[in-house]
Amino acid sequence: MGADHDEAGAFPMDDIQQLGVYQVYTGSGTGSGFLIDATHLLTNCHVVSPFRQVAVELRDRTRILGTVRRLHPQRDLAIVELAHPLSGEVLALSDGVQLKPKQAVHILGFPVGLPLSLTEGVISHPRQLLDEQYFLQTDAAINPGNSGGPMLDDGRRIIAVTTCKLDAADSVGFGIPVTDVRRFVEEFRGQQSAFGVQCPACDHLIDSATRYCPSCGTDLDAQHDIRDYFDTPDPHPLVGFVEGALAGAGIDPVLARHGDHNWSFHVGSAPVKIWCCCSEHLNFSSPLAQTGNRNLDALFRHLLAAEHAPYFYDLNGNTIRLNLVVHVSDVFLPHEHADLAERVRQFVLKADASDDQLIRDYGCMPAPETQIDFLAGGGQHPR
Amino acid sequence: MSITSLHLPAPIRRRQHHAPSDHARRDRAVELFESGSLRESVCETLAYLLPGTAVPDLVGEPLCFVQGSARVRVGIERDELAVGTVLAALQDGSQATAALRYFLTRMSSTGQLFQPRLRGDSIALEFRDRLALMHPLKLIEVLQRLPVEAYRNDAWLAQQFSVALPDREPVPPLDDDEFARAHLVWQRHWDQVDALMTESRRRRSLRVLDALGSLAVNHVNYALPLFGAVRARLNESADDFTDRDENPNRRDSVLAKCVKDMQQVGADELRACLGHLQYAINPQLDGTPSLLTSMLGGGQRMQATGELRAAGRALEAALELVSIYLYLLTHYSWPEEVEAALRAGLDLASDQPWREVTDLLWEHANSTAQTYGSHGAHDRDDDEAEAADGR
Repeated sequence: MGADHDEAGAFPMDDIQQLGVYQVYTGSGTGSGFLIDATHLLTNCHVVSPFRQVAVELRDRTRILGTVRRLHPQRDLAIVELAHPLSGEVLALSDGVQLKPKQAVHILGFPVGLPLSLTEGVISHPRQLLDEQYFLQTDAAINPGNSGGPMLDDGRRIIAVTTCKLDAADSVGFGIPVTDVRRFVEEFRGQQSAFGVQCPACDHLIDSATRYCPSCGTDLDAQHDIRDYFDTPDPHPLVGFVEGALAGAGIDPVLARHGDHNWSFHVGSAPVKIWCCCSEHLNFSSPLAQTGNRNLDALFRHLLAAEHAPYFYDLNGNTIRLNLVVHVSDVFLPHEHADLAERVRQFVLKADASDDQLIRDYGCMPAPETQIDFLAGGGQHPR
Repeated sequence: MSITSLHLPAPIRRRQHHAPSDHARRDRAVELFESGSLRESVCETLAYLLPGTAVPDLVGEPLCFVQGSARVRVGIERDELAVGTVLAALQDGSQATAALRYFLTRMSSTGQLFQPRLRGDSIALEFRDRLALMHPLKLIEVLQRLPVEAYRNDAWLAQQFSVALPDREPVPPLDDDEFARAHLVWQRHWDQVDALMTESRRRRSLRVLDALGSLAVNHVNYALPLFGAVRARLNESADDFTDRDENPNRRDSVLAKCVKDMQQVGADELRACLGHLQYAINPQLDGTPSLLTSMLGGGQRMQATGELRAAGRALEAALELVSIYLYLLTHYSWPEEVEAALRAGLDLASDQPWREVTDLLWEHANSTAQTYGSHGAHDRDDDEAEAADGR
């Protein structure tokens, strides 16, 4: 199929990196989204909920802030306003009237958190009825992380938005038809309020927490707990601690979110990952550099030196990581948070300084995840 | 010729004194911590883990206790609690780079609170934190896990990297008679496992592989006071061949390789790895009546074993039953009468044909569960223990 397209030149997908499709990060997971103009991204409601602020990652792995402006929980659509305009190509919406079974489908997204990827298949059914809604059904591979990404036709026009797949079946994925997407976008263009949620029954835009739809009287709690979309949920104490500590270290916690109890960000050239495992330990880790072939004895002695406590280095293969472990019981001692937050701040500073030191003093090489090359080229990370 | 029975001799390993944990002391330590009595909380935590041990004030005089071959020191310095044990020291002739790489790769790790730290040429496992952050559950985790890492690795490190072991508790060796018996147990065990490998491959049975893997490692750890390099090698292989999520072909090949490796262990090497280690903190879990009910009464494994028995698959059923008994005796500490009852089951099964083992142990298991088990619904913890029984 791909060869046919290349010969015909009908499907110019040579450089998908130029397309305005980006990865969306929240405190519950990651998904995909695409530009509907330079400052607005369309994705799934389930990708951004229950958060009102999300992070959008660009090709160079920097992240910008996005603010959720409109949700349609029933149709699983959301629009996010970006902190600044992006230059990615805005893909056109197709008219959606010519779709037929066996027609090619090209899905763009970030499956299982991988970089932007293209998967292909065909339309299995252009208008499949499921749970009283119509979907475009496809056999193209859909994985977690693809949600909210565009489904394209051969002319590189959007024909649907990836939303879900059947876990109990092979190759049965679904997209929200472009006609619904077009209507959602057009209605957003006329939106006056900063934030609104569409009624699942009548599509009326609701701009404040209410139990009954002001237009059709539907009991909104009975369907989607729509009042929850207007409340910022109380964070888990562990999340509250980490995000407070990150803020204290000058890191925007929204931009650092990387799914449930996971955070990732760069500080200077050093990548930092934070995760909670086994409900007992909160782990901070920064892969800094790779060992070279000389001076190893001195390097290893430096890495194991007691002076680094409470921080410590370890080796994953040849990759040197700086780490900090916080016991979860510490997180439930609010009067100690200032001290612990200072440890986190010092960890961030040490990570930022250590990769350079390892390279300079011990002949190490940058770890693949560090951004030394990027920063050398003049890039800067927003804080 | 097919193997027709299993020899299950009495253990040479000395019985660990059974002293059920007094969880009220742990709860008291938590209360003290939460009320701001930090030093008292530490002392109560130590009393919970080390019943009967006199705990010094920790400021002027640290507590030193022996866990296996590790000497663990616990002391208070200013407002910090420090826990540590010296693991090894680099010396002339050590493979220093390889040893240091090993510490960084295998002993430094996220997911644990203590870490290896180098001072001069001496490497220690250390943990240190302010008393205000010394929640009893955190301290218990450190005191239980840190010494294990030390005593499971020290002799192996010395053998692999020629490092010195400057602060290691001497391990009382086996006397000649004990060693002679231990050597026989060792040789016969691995010959049996070797023969059962053939049966496992002939039958291509995952159940046999599961039970055999469990038996291979648990019978050794139950019967012999094994430590050091040989135990480290065995446990490392067992991590793979008892892993039920691992590819069965790989498990089979790792077990086969392990059997060959263990059969080649000479008398001198074995003698150096046998000794009666002392444990201040019981390394075994507390056995409970509900666990007995779950494992021997009517849990999933016994139901599956009953199906094998009803289908006339005597070897599979017998191996499964023996492996359950060995698992309970290896990983759990029991009151003397319960341990004797479990041992009696193995005595019944020893050197008997598979079918008789199946019938005898089936009856014995039910009777033991009736006598010593709990008679209510078994609790969730025990279901989890059963589910986690990889070995």
